[in-house]
Amino acid sequence: MPAAAAVTEPSPAPVATPTPASPSFGALAGRWYRLNQDRLRATAIGVISLAAFLLVWHLLTTYRVVFFVRFTNVPSPLAVYASFTKAIHDPKFLMHIVFSCRRIFFGFSLAAIVGVPLGLIMGRFKLVHEVVFPVAEVLRPIPAIAWVPMAIMLWPTNEQSIVFITFLGSFFPILVNTLHGMSLVDPVLVRAAQCLGARERSIFREVYFPASLPHIFTGLTIGMGVAWVSLIAAEMISGQYGIGYFTWEAYSLVQYADIALGMIAIGVLGLGSSLLIRGAGQLVMPWRAK
Amino acid sequence: MVRHLPTLSIAMSVTSLALLLAQPATAETVTLGIGTQDTTTNTVTAGVVIRQLHLLEKYLPTDGKYANIKFELEWQNFTSGPPVTNAMMANKLQIGMMGDYPLIVNGFTFESNPESKSRLIGVAAYSLSGSGNGIVVHKDSPYYDLADLKGKLVSVPFGSAAHGMVLKAMQDRGYASDFFQLVSQSPEVGSTNLQEKKIDAHADFVPFAELLPFRGFARKIFDGVETNLPTFHGIVVRTDFAEKYPEVVVAYMKAIIAANQWLRDDPKLAAEKIQEWTGISKEVVYIFLGPSGNMTTDPTIKPALIDAATTDVKVLQNLGRMKEFDPKKWVDDSYIRKAYAEMKLDYDAQLASTKNYEISGEDSFCRKPIVDPRKAGEVWVDDAGILPFASAACTLGAYADLKAKGKKINVAYVFDTTRGIKLFADQAFYAVGAGDVAPFLLKKDAETYATKINGKVLGFDDAVKSAVTGGKT
Repeated sequence: MPAAAAVTEPSPAPVATPTPASPSFGALAGRWYRLNQDRLRATAIGVISLAAFLLVWHLLTTYRVVFFVRFTNVPSPLAVYASFTKAIHDPKFLMHIVFSCRRIFFGFSLAAIVGVPLGLIMGRFKLVHEVVFPVAEVLRPIPAIAWVPMAIMLWPTNEQSIVFITFLGSFFPILVNTLHGMSLVDPVLVRAAQCLGARERSIFREVYFPASLPHIFTGLTIGMGVAWVSLIAAEMISGQYGIGYFTWEAYSLVQYADIALGMIAIGVLGLGSSLLIRGAGQLVMPWRAK
Repeated sequence: MVRHLPTLSIAMSVTSLALLLAQPATAETVTLGIGTQDTTTNTVTAGVVIRQLHLLEKYLPTDGKYANIKFELEWQNFTSGPPVTNAMMANKLQIGMMGDYPLIVNGFTFESNPESKSRLIGVAAYSLSGSGNGIVVHKDSPYYDLADLKGKLVSVPFGSAAHGMVLKAMQDRGYASDFFQLVSQSPEVGSTNLQEKKIDAHADFVPFAELLPFRGFARKIFDGVETNLPTFHGIVVRTDFAEKYPEVVVAYMKAIIAANQWLRDDPKLAAEKIQEWTGISKEVVYIFLGPSGNMTTDPTIKPALIDAATTDVKVLQNLGRMKEFDPKKWVDDSYIRKAYAEMKLDYDAQLASTKNYEISGEDSFCRKPIVDPRKAGEVWVDDAGILPFASAACTLGAYADLKAKGKKINVAYVFDTTRGIKLFADQAFYAVGAGDVAPFLLKKDAETYATKINGKVLGFDDAVKSAVTGGKT
């Protein structure tokens, strides 16, 4: 089937309407191009902008530009690349990444499992909101690094302490956005459902949950980002593995290229995990425009 | 209205210009950033003491080219060396102080800085035997020797002087690199983890190996003296600053000399002041910086310390953390030499001397003079001050006597019988027998000695009791 070839293209968009006659490769490619024109354009511009970023970074560090901001000792992209090639031949670097991803996965999943239902319940029942909200608002602004000593004392193992800090990072954005989504649910829809005889459980399932889903996913995306943000603080406890620990250790040995490599690795991993959540969002909410 | 405005502004600028010209010369303000480590007790005489007593202001040059320069001192405090190096690289700090390993990393990192290099210009404090760094365990744990920690989780701040000590200790004993499960934790994280028994042992630099036992939850089982590798904290400067204002760097060296003198003039007062400024308990400060203490404050750059730095470089190279670096080329003793000369002091005599200042005076309990300070002891009585005693037995006897009189005792110190390092009396193990009381850091050493003298090993409380009944010499 020629259509299969089109489907395996890296595009989740449903393309290639089944045609009885086998069209020429050129025609297929043309149609694929027309359908994905916007996406291709965005990708191309993205690549160009990243390349420009690298070029500017390269130039600023090569010529050690000092223009209020000083690039004298900032590592160049080539130095970071050298660190990178060294790192990928080191099995330890892979371990760092695996450990961090696992911690983020557990911390974030727990935050989603606790945060979303809690937000939904808080949005529906005023008393729960009144009880939980003040506590959440006090705990929310506390930076991850301040939690380090408490996290060590609270949990029996260090791995749990680390997961706890990433959990805290993602929990509050998820909770707050879920709450926000609940507060925006159109009361007319709720009343309509009630008039049609829907019970509480059905209203929750059919009205509140789908209506606040977009905000829940916003919360999940932000929460995932913040989980990575709190990674360095969390992995200060680790002492052995994790990309945050890698960056921290590079700092304690003043190795600037490795610090930059750690930063970029966190950035790329963060981007990847945000894309995963966005993808999941599209699967769950097919009615939403891209 | 609008028409008046330009006239007004012109008049104003003319006036201000006139004012500007009327001044003889504009005073230039130069900011000098100094990175200190207040909580790292053996750097205090190069940092917090100078800051609090305004010693640098006293020595700053004011004549010649400095007549019109006003120095603004910007002191910044850090808990470890690397952030100081980072701020020095960024030219936010011109002078910084840190332990031996971070110092080498500092010198090496500056090699690639096109604006400036860094130079080691003086020493804050040192211990030729490597005391100051140590390994502590939780006080309830069954570990009494490094060998007991086989396969256990040991944390140490990587890249610190304590890390160097651990590696040297492992090398000395022929342990494989996986003998411990060695992980990196900062002092803050490691201390909390040890308290919570999440790790089996924590190795750290000054003052943690003494501070944590003093806080009551840890026990020291290894002291850096066992490695016999010198350790020190030193002062580094950016060469671009030092070349432009050499007299200021000399003034800084003079301030360190003055701070050391202030410390030795009244160690008890110094310890109390340092507690007030840094938050480190005075009893802990005193064990390092007091007479016969575990650190010697001496700004001269001794060859033995630079040899140790060369060894440290090799350790870092073996870990793949450093390329070529020669500590000998990185030392610049011209400033400290000049400071000594201008203060009419003999640099070479001080350089050759490795003497600390020692406990002296008259033992008020056993009624005899103190002849061997490293066999002596001290008791810090809250209102009466720090009293010296001639031997461990006298110290314990006096301790019981003072207690009986209802005095409040802060702390008592004795010395390890074989290693000569100062110990908290209540943390030591005592080999008691045949009228002899011999304190030890390690239980194992006390046991060996007790077998030799046909005695037994006692804890502090029992040793005090035995000193009252018959240990008096």
